[in-house]
Amino acid sequence: MTGQGGSAPQTGRYSAVSMSLLTSLLARPLDPGYEAAARRRAAEGPTRRSLASTIALVLIAVLLGALTVRAAVTLRAPQPAVIQARAVLEAEVTERSREIAEAQDRIAELDAEVQALQTTALEVSDPELLARLARDDLVAGAVALTGPGVRITVADAPGAQDGDAERRVHDSDLRVVVNGLWAAGAEAVSVNGIRVSTRTAVRSAGQAVLVDLVPLSGPYVIEAIGDPDRLPTRFAGTAARDHLALLRGVYDIPWSIDPVASLTLPAAAAPTLERATVLTKEDR
Amino acid sequence: MIALLGLALGIVAGLLFEPTVPVGLQPYLPIAVIAALDALFGGLRARLDGIFDDKVFVVSFLSNVVLAALIVFLGDQLGVGSQLSTAVVVVLGIRIFSNAAAIRRHLFKA
Repeated sequence: MTGQGGSAPQTGRYSAVSMSLLTSLLARPLDPGYEAAARRRAAEGPTRRSLASTIALVLIAVLLGALTVRAAVTLRAPQPAVIQARAVLEAEVTERSREIAEAQDRIAELDAEVQALQTTALEVSDPELLARLARDDLVAGAVALTGPGVRITVADAPGAQDGDAERRVHDSDLRVVVNGLWAAGAEAVSVNGIRVSTRTAVRSAGQAVLVDLVPLSGPYVIEAIGDPDRLPTRFAGTAARDHLALLRGVYDIPWSIDPVASLTLPAAAAPTLERATVLTKEDR
Repeated sequence: MIALLGLALGIVAGLLFEPTVPVGLQPYLPIAVIAALDALFGGLRARLDGIFDDKVFVVSFLSNVVLAALIVFLGDQLGVGSQLSTAVVVVLGIRIFSNAAAIRRHLFKA
């Protein structure tokens, strides 16, 4: 782009200036300055460059190198608008998650309060109903439970991040394991700290696995409370155990099952009341 | 030769210190990088031709980058920025390509 000092080739055939421009561009891509400098050197013999101009040269070279590499790096980075939009979304997700956590804490608090009031109210008037409620709560997963049990950890296979959906843990896999644990006699089951009740769905949305509509990511920790002696052995006899073996054998999905002396599973999300009838004497 | 050393030093410095490019200059970066590439290939070819010159290299590098950015800037002001960018890319692309071909001939004798 610089120094038209060099002589353009004289083809003689093209008279138009634009044509000679193209010809010189195609035939002599090298900057003519190099040739001119070489000729000058040949004519005048080797000359010593002054110290000042050498320093200036080096400084400019350093600057150019830094600028060019920065420009290249900047161009390779994702566009700022995209990053910004991402950051906004991320902040929103974090904020909403925090709000959900706060609301859940509040729910737990209020639940405890309701429970306490219920207990004090029924202790005297209807202890039988209270016992029944306690039993139903336990079965429905409405109260937190602590006890011995097993912990099953399932993780995505290495390489699952490369978009190979086959190597991911799917919702159906978790469903099979959870159902296997119920079949093996588990009294309470949770997935990544979310209690699975009779009303909890384990399903997927896009690539995320949803448990009770909460998106989870691997590794998935499935905890089950049950008879510490019988639960693992009975689980080993279920179809779920075969399914896990298949996952490891075919898809490389790692999993482990460990007995745990004491697990604490949180209460399931409070169910919405959909139907209510007044209890009669016969119902009790 | 000393200019190439300086350039390498600058590249390392740019990678290490990560100075940010002003947002106003962002539209001219692609063209500037293409122009820099052109100067680099030109310098490499001159070196293989045995006529490399520090001063010519640095001056052509600098003027290449500045001129390319200037042309795009002018084009932007006149509303033909993208067309002029294309023109600059075509010209520089041809030069890079033929210089690369010359370098290949030098290296592989083919």
